[in-house]
Amino acid sequence: MHRYTWRTLIRELALFALAALWWIPLYFLVTIALKPDLEALASPLSFPSQIELGNFGTAWTEGSLGRALANSVILTVGTVVLLVALGSLCAYTIARRAGAMSTTLYLLFVIGIILPFQLGLVPTYAALRELGLVGTYLGLILFYTGVWMPFSVFLYTGFARALPRDYEEAARVDGASQLRIFWRVVFPLLRPVTGTVAIFTGLIIWNDFFLALIFLSGTDNTPLPVAVYSFVAEFASRWNLVFAAVIVALLPALCFFVVAQRQLIRGFTGGIKT
Amino acid sequence: MSVPAGSTNARPAARRRRRRSGLPQVPWVWVLPALVLVLLLRYVATAAGGWYAFTDWNGISREAQFIGLDNFREILDNPASRGALENTIVLAVTFVVAANVIGLLLALALHRTLKTRILLRALFFAPVVMSSLAVSYIWQFIFSYTGPLNRFLDAVGLDSWQRAWTGDPTWALWTIFVVLVWQFAGLAMVMYLSGLAGIPEELDEAAAVDGASTLRRFRTITLPLLAPAFTVSVTLSLVYGLGVFDQVLALTGGGPVDASETLATQIYKQTFAFGRYGYGAALSLILTVLITAMALAQLAVLRYRERRI
Amino acid sequence: MAPVTFSNVSKTYPDGTRALVGFELDIADGELVVFVGPSGCGKTTALRMVAGLEEVTDGEIRIGDRVVNDLAPQDRDVAMVFQNYALYPHMSVFDNIAFPLRCQRVPKREIRERVQQAAALLGLEEQLGRRPRHLSGGQRQRVAMGRAIVRQPQVFLMDEPLSNLDAKLRVQMRSEITRLQEELGVTTIFVTHDQVEAMTMGDRIAVLRRGVLQQHGPPELLYDEPANLFVAEFIGSPAMNLFRGRLENDGSGLACAIGEQRVPLPEHTLARRLGLAAYADRELAVGIRPEHLLDARSSDPALPRLRGDVKFDEALPPERLVYATVEAPPVVTEDVLELAQDVDAAAVERLEELAQERFVLACARFDITASPPPRGPFEFAVAVDRLHFFDLETGAAIR
Repeated sequence: MHRYTWRTLIRELALFALAALWWIPLYFLVTIALKPDLEALASPLSFPSQIELGNFGTAWTEGSLGRALANSVILTVGTVVLLVALGSLCAYTIARRAGAMSTTLYLLFVIGIILPFQLGLVPTYAALRELGLVGTYLGLILFYTGVWMPFSVFLYTGFARALPRDYEEAARVDGASQLRIFWRVVFPLLRPVTGTVAIFTGLIIWNDFFLALIFLSGTDNTPLPVAVYSFVAEFASRWNLVFAAVIVALLPALCFFVVAQRQLIRGFTGGIKT
Repeated sequence: MSVPAGSTNARPAARRRRRRSGLPQVPWVWVLPALVLVLLLRYVATAAGGWYAFTDWNGISREAQFIGLDNFREILDNPASRGALENTIVLAVTFVVAANVIGLLLALALHRTLKTRILLRALFFAPVVMSSLAVSYIWQFIFSYTGPLNRFLDAVGLDSWQRAWTGDPTWALWTIFVVLVWQFAGLAMVMYLSGLAGIPEELDEAAAVDGASTLRRFRTITLPLLAPAFTVSVTLSLVYGLGVFDQVLALTGGGPVDASETLATQIYKQTFAFGRYGYGAALSLILTVLITAMALAQLAVLRYRERRI
Repeated sequence: MAPVTFSNVSKTYPDGTRALVGFELDIADGELVVFVGPSGCGKTTALRMVAGLEEVTDGEIRIGDRVVNDLAPQDRDVAMVFQNYALYPHMSVFDNIAFPLRCQRVPKREIRERVQQAAALLGLEEQLGRRPRHLSGGQRQRVAMGRAIVRQPQVFLMDEPLSNLDAKLRVQMRSEITRLQEELGVTTIFVTHDQVEAMTMGDRIAVLRRGVLQQHGPPELLYDEPANLFVAEFIGSPAMNLFRGRLENDGSGLACAIGEQRVPLPEHTLARRLGLAAYADRELAVGIRPEHLLDARSSDPALPRLRGDVKFDEALPPERLVYATVEAPPVVTEDVLELAQDVDAAAVERLEELAQERFVLACARFDITASPPPRGPFEFAVAVDRLHFFDLETGAAIR
């Protein structure tokens, strides 16, 4: 019923025009980041007459972007590992036990998804400061984990409930211990959810600025967005340098997007739909 | 074995128990790490935040004084905070409408037929994965006085419209709006696409054979069946819009003269720059109530619709 | 109500697949024509082209005297019942049936009347307020029918509408659809892969294979005079027995050699199949339907005999199906393999195995009242007038 006519062709071309418009900011981003200081100031919109890769060097060292990149990786991986490991273990228990306790726990986590984190922010900050955890990776990782754990448990529980028990029974007959059953049999079966949780929360944490700014600013442990923020404060309106830093900050997520586009979109919708 | 004969529940329960006996119960201990984290960081912290909202705590002193509704009175009196509340609502509502309309249109255009739809979807989705703080700087450049937008206006003879967009009291808020929509429309599109993919093509075909025009098919078949996607996308964009922070800090810093403050930026500034923890908590409480109320309203609508289908 | 005409209609998909090739068929006003064939034969494509859901690559489709090739589905005034019914899940049964009328802007009161009428006709009065997902399979099927009949269209199109029902309901709905169609007198195209359904429902059957129309005509014609091997194999259950034979002239006239056995062909048989003369001393495919392999113990002694080895029998009152191996090479042409493939892959294997062993597992249809034949060697009488002959190369019937 959906034929490809000349009207479809026009629609296709119109959408390409719109996509081009959508990507104009990225054109500015790349061209300006490649220009020397003078040219960036004098003719920011033209195509670069010469390519100045030195901007990236300057941004990298002046903005300590290498350290920031490492910080981002530590924060993201640390949080995702906790969300996956603790979330799946907890969800599996809730899914396999019946009764009021299980229902209550499940509700507790579901409500946690809707409950915004902002109100708990101030007391948590104060408490973590008491414990000397503000400014450390651990402090922020704990907070991220607390914020996203309900989401993780919710997704895992839904999936684990639908999982047939046959595999566990088979493993039991084969003489596996309970933890082994979980780790070797159940956890691999939960892989689709693990993918969704990792991609969805991973991207959000990778790009988080608000919490990282509050918990880590002023230390060496700041992730990329906060590092870029500080860098801009210092080099404001030297757009070629600012944009070089921005590119470094955007590149990892964009690369990931290009490589794992399908999984990423599926992970996103999978996380959102349920 | 003495199973009470009168109890109708006895037999299924017994069967369930027997079915389970092959496997030992999963120990409750396994829920503990996740549970403790969530209880402390979500529930206890939120409750504490609710308490602080009614105090004048400065974050350092051992005790906080209960001051009733003073914080809330001040929020309404303080132009920056009150403006932040208004800005947040205006921004969130307009953003939700724009992002969802554009996302829906993109999804409809890229659902079928087009040969390059996969590529086009990727192009529109790409901004979603980017750091919103980082991309906001690109937009700050675009909106700057010597930036591309003003040059474009000059070129098409609208030079009287030129201004420093992010430094203009009326326009500053709308630059944030543009970046929000630009980044979020792709996500809305993907949500609507997955909603559209869930509608069997047969229904559209059946309606066509039944004599329904394209417009009528959209109105009576596609749109109603897209309801769940609508609810999810609208809820998510509402939560995102109400919590807007990164874009504000990068584009306007809340200025000029607090003209583009939002609740999140005010929470950040009041609490962590001015050390007014109690006041910040009160702002957080307002934001929390806003988000929860909106999310619950959406959820209620979703449930209502679900029951209808 | 209107006739439907296919003139040299072809469909080629962008990837080069040819779904329909030079399809020619006239469907008379008020006729019920069944398109039947194995999956992928082009029957559904042909139907969807009438609905306007597939573009016509080549040729012309006419409804009445209008060429509809470029007409949008909504402008064709046809109604369609989909395989999965395509009921609108968010509308009540009433709204589902009323939908086509609302599209035509029929006044509210008339809509109410006509929906009530259709519902009464289908026994759906109780269900009007419910939603499709609360209905049983049979009820859903009726709603789909209701949506089609409520607007009195020019043509009904039905795409395997019974395939999702259980066996009993299917038989019931089969006769119900036939009854409705007769009452309303609307031209109907009914698509199915089930030849029994085709035989019982159609005024006329069109058999398709790989996009090509093989034969069309009333059910009896297709059964008694299949135009080629494919139709012969496809129509009839159990299928026609096929042997690879040889036409020999033994001086007294033509005889058909099946393995080591010879079945003499009397004059009157040859007179009915004049084409056979050209096949003297050549190999051909010989077909005989199960009911034309008779119990030699109780039939005309003048009929030629065919020996087989009875392996088993199935009592299926009022008849008994007797299976016996006959020593003769089976017919393993492409047509036969394709049909076997449609059943399952194992069937193909079995067929190829049998080809190696040079046996045919033949089926005979006996009366249940006759005593079951003993296992082991047994003689069948051949209703020689009812033999079918096909060219081994082209598969075409020899007439």
